[in-house]
Amino acid sequence: MTDVLDCKGLMCPMPVVQLAKKIKTIDVGQELELISDDVGSKEDIPAWCQRTGNELVEAKESGKIFTYRIKRLK
Amino acid sequence: MTETKKVAIIVSEGSFDKGIMAMMIANTAASMGMEVHIFFTFFGLNLLKKGSKPKLKGMYRLFTGTFVKRMSKVGIPQFGEQLSMAIDQGVTIYACSTSMELMGIKKENMIDGAKIVGAAGFLNIAADTDMQYFIG
Repeated sequence: MTDVLDCKGLMCPMPVVQLAKKIKTIDVGQELELISDDVGSKEDIPAWCQRTGNELVEAKESGKIFTYRIKRLK
Repeated sequence: MTETKKVAIIVSEGSFDKGIMAMMIANTAASMGMEVHIFFTFFGLNLLKKGSKPKLKGMYRLFTGTFVKRMSKVGIPQFGEQLSMAIDQGVTIYACSTSMELMGIKKENMIDGAKIVGAAGFLNIAADTDMQYFIG
């Protein structure tokens, strides 16, 4: 069961701040799913992954909801 | 993963918007694994007073409450909460020693954990950073 971090209703910078905290609670190699309705997350989540060295496995967009699958690599 | 990037921020104004802006950059950078150093000087030092609740500047002061409400609607925490969040994330907070004298702010009236330095002390740290921001 993948952990889900629901960030709907939260604007920048809260999704990445919460993501940084949450990723530490899962094991390396595990994935978590982040859900956001902040359009800025389309740039922010990939940027966060690139900078922190974690992997963005998948990014989906459905209406105003953005879903990301992030794998902890380190 | 690239090497750890370092950020230096100088905050010279104590209004609501300046304080929030500094905290948003600091918290985001920290969440991205960056090392963040913030120097509060002149009016910016007021932000470090215990329980500080900054207001918008000038006439806009009256609209601070409206702003606060709008921000909480979109999940953006208030200044004090963001400052604690930054400290929890490992951001280092510096208080300008000269400003403390000028503004009559004592160490015991400021938040715990602020490091008291002069300009030279902070510039020495900023000199080794990758990004520098001035918010004033």
